[in-house]
Parts: sequence; C-alpha cells; structure tokens
Amino acid sequence: MTESASYPPIDPTTFDLILVGTGLPESVIAAAASAAGKTVLHLDPNSFYGSHFSSLPLDELTSFLTSHSTTSTSSSHPHLPPSTAIDGEDYISVDLETRPVYSDLDISSHSSEPLEHSRKFNLDPAGPRVLFCADSAIDLMLKSGTSQYIEFKGVDASLVCDSDGKLSTVPDSRAAIFKDRTLGLTEKNQLMRFFKLVQEHLASDGDERGDNARISEEDLQSPFVEFLKKMRLPPKIKSIILYAIAMADYDQDDVEVCKDVLKTKDGIDRLALYQSSVSRFSNAPGALIYPMYGQGELPQGFCRRAAVKGCLYVLRMPVTALLMEKSSGHYKGVRLASGQDLFSRQLVLDPSFVVSLPLASSSPDFLQEISLDFRLKSAQGKVARGICIARSSLKPDVSNLLVVYPPRSLYPEQATSIRVLQIGSNLAVCPSGMFVLYLSALCDDADQGKKLLHAAMNALFTPDVSGNPENSSSVQCENTEEVKSTLLWSALYMQELNMASFESISFTPMPDGNLNYNGVLDATMKLFKKMYPDEEYFPETTSPENSEDDEGISLES
Amino acid sequence: MATSGNKNINAKLVLLGDVGAGKSSLVLRFVKGQFVEFQESTIGAAFFSQTLAVNDATVKFEIWDTAGQERYHSLAPMYYRGAAAAIIVFDITNQTSFDRAKKWVQELQAQGNPNMVMALAGNKADLLDARKVTAEEAQAYAQENGLFFLETSAKTATNVNDIFYEIAKRLPRAQPVENPSGMVLMDRPAERAASASCCS
Repeated sequence: MTESASYPPIDPTTFDLILVGTGLPESVIAAAASAAGKTVLHLDPNSFYGSHFSSLPLDELTSFLTSHSTTSTSSSHPHLPPSTAIDGEDYISVDLETRPVYSDLDISSHSSEPLEHSRKFNLDPAGPRVLFCADSAIDLMLKSGTSQYIEFKGVDASLVCDSDGKLSTVPDSRAAIFKDRTLGLTEKNQLMRFFKLVQEHLASDGDERGDNARISEEDLQSPFVEFLKKMRLPPKIKSIILYAIAMADYDQDDVEVCKDVLKTKDGIDRLALYQSSVSRFSNAPGALIYPMYGQGELPQGFCRRAAVKGCLYVLRMPVTALLMEKSSGHYKGVRLASGQDLFSRQLVLDPSFVVSLPLASSSPDFLQEISLDFRLKSAQGKVARGICIARSSLKPDVSNLLVVYPPRSLYPEQATSIRVLQIGSNLAVCPSGMFVLYLSALCDDADQGKKLLHAAMNALFTPDVSGNPENSSSVQCENTEEVKSTLLWSALYMQELNMASFESISFTPMPDGNLNYNGVLDATMKLFKKMYPDEEYFPETTSPENSEDDEGISLES
Repeated sequence: MATSGNKNINAKLVLLGDVGAGKSSLVLRFVKGQFVEFQESTIGAAFFSQTLAVNDATVKFEIWDTAGQERYHSLAPMYYRGAAAAIIVFDITNQTSFDRAKKWVQELQAQGNPNMVMALAGNKADLLDARKVTAEEAQAYAQENGLFFLETSAKTATNVNDIFYEIAKRLPRAQPVENPSGMVLMDRPAERAASASCCS
C-alpha cells in the first residue's frame, strides 16, 4: 500500500528513543533497546527496510544508489542557507538533510535486451557480504531470536587467484589440503605443520602447561606476514592464508602502501574464526553462509524482533527537522514530513543524514558548540563496490562462490585485495539462469577504485559482446575449468566509510569494507553500551518468541 | 511454502487486517482456547505453531502475527515470504476495516505466492446488533477474488477452528518447491560444533 499521506498521527508522541533509518546497526539497536524495555520509534523515509544494508529489486537499487550519489556536476549542491525557525516558546527547529554517501556511480547495460523481472532481483548495496558460520553476528542472531526468521545456504566454493592469474580452491581443511592437486607434497606438509602449530597455540590458551605450544608474544606482536615467512611457507600458501582466509585488505609485503598491517595475533584469530566456521553447521560445507533473499533479511529480522518487543514502525516517513531546546541547544525531538512533532530522550541517525546548521554569525552561541558535535568522523578512504549480473556461473557446477584477487595478482600496482562473491538463483536473489556478482576493494580515491573493479571484471567476464547477442554463451578460457561469463548489467560505485559516532545525537556506521558484519556489529554494540550503559545487550531468554505450544491441540477430522 | 512429506505438511500462515480487527484474538482462541475482552495491541507474541489433523494429512501451522508492523503499513517482505496461507481479518461492525481488508488482499496478490490459500474472516460475529458489513457483501467479494469466507467470533469461538481446518484441507498436498529452502540456524554451542546441525 503506497498511500503515505493517509497515516494516522503517531501515538504516543514521546519515546525513549527515536531511530531514523532501518539499516542493520539501527535495527539491532532498535531490537536491543526494545528488549531492554525502552519505548522505541523506528522511522525510515524509504518504502523498504534496510537502508544501506537492504536488498532491492533492480529498479529500486538503481534509484536508491542514484538518490544517495553525488552527481558528476560539482555544482549540484546549491547550499541553501539552512533554516532555523523559532518554534513556539521552548525549542527551535534545525533542518535535517541527507548527504551523498556514494559517488562515481556508473550503471551500464551490457546486453542489447533490457533485463526483465526487476522484482525477481534482491540486490545488496553493501555487497559482497557473507557470514562466517562462527561469526559473532550468528551468535547475536541466535541470542536475539532473529535467526528463526531467516534461512541460509552455504557458499559452496572459495577460490583465490594466484600470481599466474589462475584460480584455485582455497584449501581450508585437512581433507581439502590432501585432495588439492595443485599443492606439492612439500607444500602440503608445510601447510599441515602450520595449521597444527596454530591449533596447538589456540588450544594452549589459558593453559599453564601448554606454554611451549604457544607462539611467543614477540611473534604475536610482529606482522603476520613476517611470521608466515619465518614458518617458511611458500609465497602461494602465504597469499592464500593472508588474503583468502585472514581476508587482509592491503598488500602485506609492501610497507609503502599497506595501511593496515595484520599482526600475527589478529591473523591467528582470523584463522581460528575460519577453522571453527568450517565445522560449525553440518549443512554448510564451507566457512561461509549467505541468507536467502539477500542481506536485507538481516535488518528485517531485527526489526521484527524489535516490533515483537513493542517498537513502533513507520516506513515512508521522512524527518524534516530536529527540534532543539532553545535555552540549552539540547536535542528534544524530530519534525516529521507529515508535520507532526515527536519527542525522545535519544536520537540515532542513519549515516547519510547531516544536521545543517545556520551560519554562526546569526545563531545563538550554543549552535556553534553543537556544530562540533555533529561533525561526522571523517571518512577514512573509500570502498569501491560493483554489482554485476551475468548469464553463467564462473564455475560450471557451482552456483555460490567467493573469489579473492590478492594484491598484485591482477596488475603490479594493485594495492588492495579485491573480493568477488557470486550468488545464484537458488538463494532467490535473481531469476534462474542468472548470477549476481558483488565486487569490493578498499581504495583512496575513485580512480584507483574504478581501476581495481575494472581489472577484476576483465578477469571475470568476456569482452563486451553487446553488439552481438547471439554470442552470449560462455566462453571457455585456456586450460582451466573456470569459464568466463557474459556480463549483462553492472553498477559500479564508490562508497564512503563512516564510523559510528556517539554524541548528543548518535550516528550509525556505513557498511565497512569487510566481508562479514563483525566490524559493523561491534561498533553497533559499543554505540548501544554508550547510550544505555546500564542495560544488558540482548538479555538471555529461554524462548525467544512465544512458541511454547508445540504439542498443541489436534482437531479431529 | 507448504512442504509435504509423509502427509506431514508444514505451512506458514500469515494474518492480515487492520488494527483492532481481532487478528491476535483469533490466533489465541485457536492456539490456546483463550479470549481476552480488551486485548492490547499485539506486543510480545508474534509466532505460534499449531498442529491440525485433517483426513489425509497432519498440518503444522507456523502462524505469524504482524507484531504491530501493519499499523503504519510497514510490514516487511519477510512477513509474506513463503506463506502458504493467509487469513485476512476484518471487523463486521466496522465498514472501514472491511475496506482495508480489500487493500490487504491486493497487497497479498502483489507480494505473496500465487498458490496461497486465502481466507477472509468477518470477525466479531457475536456483535450482531452492531453489524455494518453484511455476510452477503463479504461473501460476494470473497468469491470474486478467490478467497473463502467465514464469519468468526474469537469471543464465542464460533468458526475459529473451522477456518483453520478449512485452510488445512485446501492446502496443496504436493507443491512444486519454487526455491529449495535453506537452513535455519539452530542454537547449539560452538564447542559441540561437530554434531551441530541445521534443519532444512
């Protein structure tokens, strides 16, 4: 139902917490605050759940990315002087505006026929993203009761590109190492020995007698890449461990470009996460799982949990202004597009909002102070993302797979890892016979980002054959079992990386450049703890929902 | 999606209808045999399961209540996904709630699975004196739109079991599964990882 104007006024008008935007962090906070007994109102200007963490039909994805992008003409933001209106006796209103979080959006159709069945697509603006089976995100879903709403499937294969440009399977278990025909006997033994060392180190945790099994503190604080060298692992194995298992972003061998050196301690933790993920659920053969219908199910699940605990939901409701107390400048409430004013103790905003402040000269003193509060934590680089729709799978018999292109595997100046996730129609994200490929890589600027994405796309897809639709079958490439797929449609864009911030008004983070949600959800939990230092983050309950009546009554026929 | 095996059918059933039509009351009557005169808007319970035996099968309903998200038309697609049946509830003493019910039927036809079994429940049938929607009008609407119609009373239990029973009878016994379903994560400690499994 789309008639937005016919909403009854929201009742009540005062809440403990108002959240604007239904992205994953806001949805988790809404669920946690509702579970803690707070009165919560959750608003979203969009007609769908999930905001930057949604899954959208093709048309809606296009308009969502476009509406949150900077347009190429730089003069697109005629900065109107923000208005501050003195409302009534007690508070003033300050305009709430959105700022672009995506840039350099490039949407292209590579097929002569337009893609049909837009609504059969569920595309993730925050892709590529998966969950590791042992992720804290999984524990959070189980603990909060969200897991009962969502079904998952395993990602069937994990591939990594070697220095010759060939893709090989990531040997992620003992059995896989044994079976791997690309590894020599010496390599297998080295890898086995290394995994054993890591296991003994992890098993000795907190065990006094196990001290000699532990990796020394000096090693733990040293770069992981140095430790792997010390273990005399060959370059190919090193690369697999660093980029396809520990998912390091930057080139660890090049101190010049590496902005994030992975320490041995953290590298070992990520190996442990990967290993415990592989064996956690018997139905998931590998370490990674993906939700049916796309990542947007996660925020929807948390919102449903919040609603069950009393949180009020209103979609299609923009907030136009914030209400500030006249005397102190403290946040008081929000003004809705419907004209209604609502009040709350706390406010959480989606990262695409900015509070525009009046010119300092003409404003009361307190506004200059809050302007500092509202300044967002500055963006730290960008993440280049791509969404591609293709006709055939990269690997004929596998539908859902991850491909990692480590730094320098595609071109000498490639400074960051490029990750590609292919998801097929058996996860209900696209019509059958098609595949969705998500790409991402960290970058400093759009030029670098585009170069990274294009290099990966050249490796993945056959050259543009858009002039010749007959030629749309996949082409076998030299002596490998991977086939190059034909690209039908693509969207490339740069996304800002904003951190969460807690001030008198809190902001949630944008999706980060990682493959899983641990970073985002960690920031979310910290935000909740700052907002509600005395409340438990999802108290343990015996039955998450009221379904104690399993035996039930049976009616006779 | 209704999945069958040994004539055991699992079926997700969703409730739709305006605030105050009596969605939760119908479920509470069906599942627990209870009725509360002044039921508060739905908070707390939003998920019930109930098993019904019909002639040739055992149907386990997984009943989803709206959790209040219908109040401002903010139900998530997740709510409709895979639903094998729906009960659209209106209040026979309130013409607006009947008009809204028609909107919910449209919404279902747009969002839901095309093989869904849809029932229209004219609830509060015990309040005959206050009736605003005639049974004939509702029946005619239901027939035109491929629903079946019953007047129910959660208060007196009239037709409550019957409407669920009728849905159970109408559910397709074998349904081509559009998307083979995935796994639901089960709450098992990670330590027992080797034996942990997911049901599918």
